[in-house]
Amino acid sequence: MLVMDVERREENGEAERRETPKSKSRVMGSWTPLAGAALLDRLRVTGRPRPLADPDRAALLQETIERGLAPGTAANQGGRRGQSPSSTPLVVTKDRLTRALSPGVHHDAIGLGEQPPTVSMACGALIDVLFRQLVTIGSIGDPMIDGLAALALDDRQTHLIGWIDSLSRTERGALSAEVDRQSTALVNRWPRLDPAWLPRTQLPIRADVAAGAVELSGRVDLAIGRPGLNVASVAIVEVKSGTRRPEHRKDLHFYALIETLRSPAPPFVVATYYTRTGELDVDPVSDELLAAAARRTVAGARALGQVTEAAAPSRLPDQQCGKSAVLPGCRPGRQRVTADMGGYRR
Amino acid sequence: MRAQELTAAILAPPLAPIGHGDRQLVRHSLTNAIPAVVENLPLGDQVVVTLAILRQIARDPAALSRPEEPFAWKPAFVRRSLGLSAVDACINHRFSSPTEAVGPIADQAVAEWSRTGWRTFHWEPWIAALHPAARSTVMAEAATWATTLWSSIDWHRFDSPLRLGGPDDQWACTAARTVRLRGRSELRVRLEAAHADGAESTALVSVATGIPRTGWETELGFLALVASLRSPSRPVPSRVVGLWPDAGQYRSVDITSGVLTATGDRVIACIGAVVDARMSMVA
Repeated sequence: MLVMDVERREENGEAERRETPKSKSRVMGSWTPLAGAALLDRLRVTGRPRPLADPDRAALLQETIERGLAPGTAANQGGRRGQSPSSTPLVVTKDRLTRALSPGVHHDAIGLGEQPPTVSMACGALIDVLFRQLVTIGSIGDPMIDGLAALALDDRQTHLIGWIDSLSRTERGALSAEVDRQSTALVNRWPRLDPAWLPRTQLPIRADVAAGAVELSGRVDLAIGRPGLNVASVAIVEVKSGTRRPEHRKDLHFYALIETLRSPAPPFVVATYYTRTGELDVDPVSDELLAAAARRTVAGARALGQVTEAAAPSRLPDQQCGKSAVLPGCRPGRQRVTADMGGYRR
Repeated sequence: MRAQELTAAILAPPLAPIGHGDRQLVRHSLTNAIPAVVENLPLGDQVVVTLAILRQIARDPAALSRPEEPFAWKPAFVRRSLGLSAVDACINHRFSSPTEAVGPIADQAVAEWSRTGWRTFHWEPWIAALHPAARSTVMAEAATWATTLWSSIDWHRFDSPLRLGGPDDQWACTAARTVRLRGRSELRVRLEAAHADGAESTALVSVATGIPRTGWETELGFLALVASLRSPSRPVPSRVVGLWPDAGQYRSVDITSGVLTATGDRVIACIGAVVDARMSMVA
C-alpha cells in the first residue's frame, strides 16, 4: 500500500494554490527550487522499486554491525543478541558519528557536551521549530517571535535563547533577517501534507545492537507514510538551514539504517531539504546504501568506544582543522586555527 | 513491529487466573515488609512508587540523590493525555488521523475550561496561556506520539470497548509513613476469552520511550501488581504488554504468581533505594 499516493489529485490542487507567481519566479540561474506538488513528487517518485519488508535484511545489518564492533571494546561490552543487555549503552547519534569520523577531529569534540552557540546554530534551531509548526498547523506568523516562543518550551535550548538575547541589535537583526527569509521560502514551497499520510515531526528512533551495548539513536525532523507495511512506505526528511555538506547525506543514511533495524521495512527514501536554497537531496534507499551505513556506523562506534574507554586522543590539532566540518564545536581545533591565523598575520 | 503482530499478542488467550491464595501472599509480603523498610524516614513522610521510578532506580540510581526540580509543564507531559484523546477520537471515527484530531481536541478542552473552570485533563490553563507557536509545538508533540500509537495497533481487531488512559491505579500501604504505588497504563482491553470460571480477563498496554532493558518483565508486572492490590475483588490483569515505539519493539508478560512475587520483591527493593537516597541527603 503506497500511502503517499492517496488523494493525489487533492494534493495537486493544494500545490497549485501555493505555487504563486512570486515563488515560481525564484530562479537561481537556470534552476528553480521545487515547490508544492513537484517537491512532493520528487520525494515520492524515486524511479526505483520500493524495498519490501524482509526480516533477513535487518538481521544481516545487525550482524554486520555486531561483527564489526571489536570484542572487548567499550562499543561491544554486552555481547551478542540474547545476552543480558548492558545498562549503560554507548549512544551513537548522527552528530557523534560525524565528529568521530571527521578528519582532524579531537577527543573533546566527540562527546555529547553542549556546543558553544553560533549564528548558524541559532538559525538552525529556529528553522527546525518553524518547520515543525508549518507541518502541524500549516502556517507561520512572525518567524522570530514564533521560533523563540517554541524554543522556550525546550529546556535544552535555554542556553541558546540566552545567547540570542545577548546578541547586539545588528547581529540579532542579521539572524532575524535570515530566519525570515528562510521561513518565507518554506511557507511558499513546502507542500501541505495530508493527515492521512501520518506525518510525524521530531520522531525519536532507536535501535539497540550488541545486546544493548550500543544504542543507535536519532530524532527525525519529518517522517511520512504508514510504517509496518509489506512495502516500504515511509519517507524521512531532514531540514537544514545551513549550506550543503557531504556528511548530511550520511546522516540520513544512518537514519535509514536505524529505521530498517526497528521496522519491518526500511524507508523507501531519505531526503535533506535545504531551507536556505530550496535544494532537495533525495536518496532512494537500497541494500547497498544500508550496508554502507552499517559499515560507517561500525567505524564510528569503534572510534566512540575508544573515547569512552578514555583512550588518549588519537588525533591532535593540525593544519586540517580549518577544513573540519565540526570546527565550530571543537575547542582545540579553533585554538589551532586561531594560532595558525596569528602566525600567518605575523 | 507490525500492528497485526502486536495486536495478536495483546489479544492472545489468557493463562489460568492467579489463585486467591497466591494473590494474598503477595499482598501480605508487601504489607509486612514495607513498614520496616520505611521506618527510618521522618514521621509523616511519603514514598510514591511509579513505573518511572522503578526504571530510574535500575538505570540511574544516582538521580534519586539529586534534588528534585520544581515541576513545570512541558510538551512531553501533555502528549500522553492529549494524544490518547486524539486516538480515542479516531477510534470513534470523529477524525481520520491523530494529526487532524489534536488541534480541535486541545481547543475544545481549553474552551471548556475557560467556560466552566472545569478541567477535562489538567494542562488546559497552561496551554491556554501559551503563545500560538508554542501551542503548536505541544500539538506537534502529541500528534507524533499519538500517530505512532495509532499506527502500531490494529484497532479494528478489538470487539469490546477499550479504555484509553483513565485514572491511575493506586494502592497505599498506610502506616506512620505512607507508601503509595501508582500504576499508569495507556490501554485496558477486555480479552474475549474469559477465564474458565467466567471471571473477566483483561490486558493492559503500557507505552514507554527508549528501548526495553533488563527487568522489563517486572516493570510491566508492576502495573498488574498495582491493579491487583487496588481492587482485590477484581481479577488480576491477565497480561501486560509494553510498547516501545522508539525502538519498534514490544514485550508481553503473562501475569503469573511468580511474576507478581518477583515484582513485589522489586518494589520493596525500590522503596529501600528511595529511603536510602533520602537518608543520605539528610546526612
